[in-house]
Amino acid sequence: MNILFQLFINFFNIGVFSFGGGYATLPFLYEIAEKYGWYTTSQLTDMIAVSSVTPGPIGINMATFAGFNTYSLFGSVVATGAIILPSYLIVTCVYKILDRFNENWMVKGAVHGLKPAGCALLTAVGIKLILTSNLHLLGALILICFILSGLKKKHEPIFYLGLSALIGLFAGLFHIIGV
Amino acid sequence: MDKSFYAIFKTFFKVGTLLLGGGYVILPLLQSELVEKKQWISNDELSQFYAISTSLPGIIAVNTSIFTGRKIAGRKGAIASVLGVITPSFLAIVFLASFLLKISGFYLVKSVFWGIGIGVISLLFFAIKEMWGKCVNDSFSTGIFIFCLILSLIFHFSPVVIVILAVIFGILYQKYNRSFIK
Repeated sequence: MNILFQLFINFFNIGVFSFGGGYATLPFLYEIAEKYGWYTTSQLTDMIAVSSVTPGPIGINMATFAGFNTYSLFGSVVATGAIILPSYLIVTCVYKILDRFNENWMVKGAVHGLKPAGCALLTAVGIKLILTSNLHLLGALILICFILSGLKKKHEPIFYLGLSALIGLFAGLFHIIGV
Repeated sequence: MDKSFYAIFKTFFKVGTLLLGGGYVILPLLQSELVEKKQWISNDELSQFYAISTSLPGIIAVNTSIFTGRKIAGRKGAIASVLGVITPSFLAIVFLASFLLKISGFYLVKSVFWGIGIGVISLLFFAIKEMWGKCVNDSFSTGIFIFCLILSLIFHFSPVVIVILAVIFGILYQKYNRSFIK
């Protein structure tokens, strides 16, 4: 019971403080992994992969997944419910002041600070994931190839995940890396 | 037009199923479903809801759905739309997660996921690059970016604290600019 309550508080928190769409919840999920150990940071990588190619908002996918890894089906329900509850409350309040909201100088100022902060938080998680994952030389080389080719022409997420899954499969078959 | 709980739920369920690859795609999807097909709201209203949703905390697709549901049928609509948009996600992930948990012990599955980790990091890199282009475009935002990155990476500050600091600095900077113009 206690863990479900903690799960609720933490995901409610994400609903209140995460900002900026897509992977914005990731820095918070990373912190939960470090602080509580409900799931490992390498499980977090798996969650990102699955959430990126599964229908639905990535934030909801990752919350459901993290909840499931923490406390099975009940965990999913609690985590997903907790992350959308703040949205519901906030939207209900803002709905009354719709026309003035985005013109308000404090909102403008807050957004001006929040956007680069969200980008910085995601960058920090990216760096932490590189440092903690066992990339090996092979992985590092492939990562550089992906990024360089992506700078020229970016493909769909499924392209990178599918190709890297195949590389992982071959690396496993021929025992190139020790996992 | 039928604006029952079930009709709204069904429409947003469809949107949730078609949504792939981040919340930004939700705008064109809602345009085709709600504005063109069902004609529940106007394009202007939808654009405004989306614009405000991006300046609010939380998941953008969820915020936009609650706004539009609320507009269509009040509180009932808001609940129907948010449940509709998250249900496909929820079902798919619970199914996949329980499946992955069963197979995750096998050696080859582990090596496949080792490979996928590389793909994930490159996806994050592309997302960061895109965000950077949109958000870091003046000296203030560059300063906030560097400041927050250092706080997170070196001093291990909690994201919550960093977000609160960013809001405070953003508002102070805006206030300073306003008094400067006056």
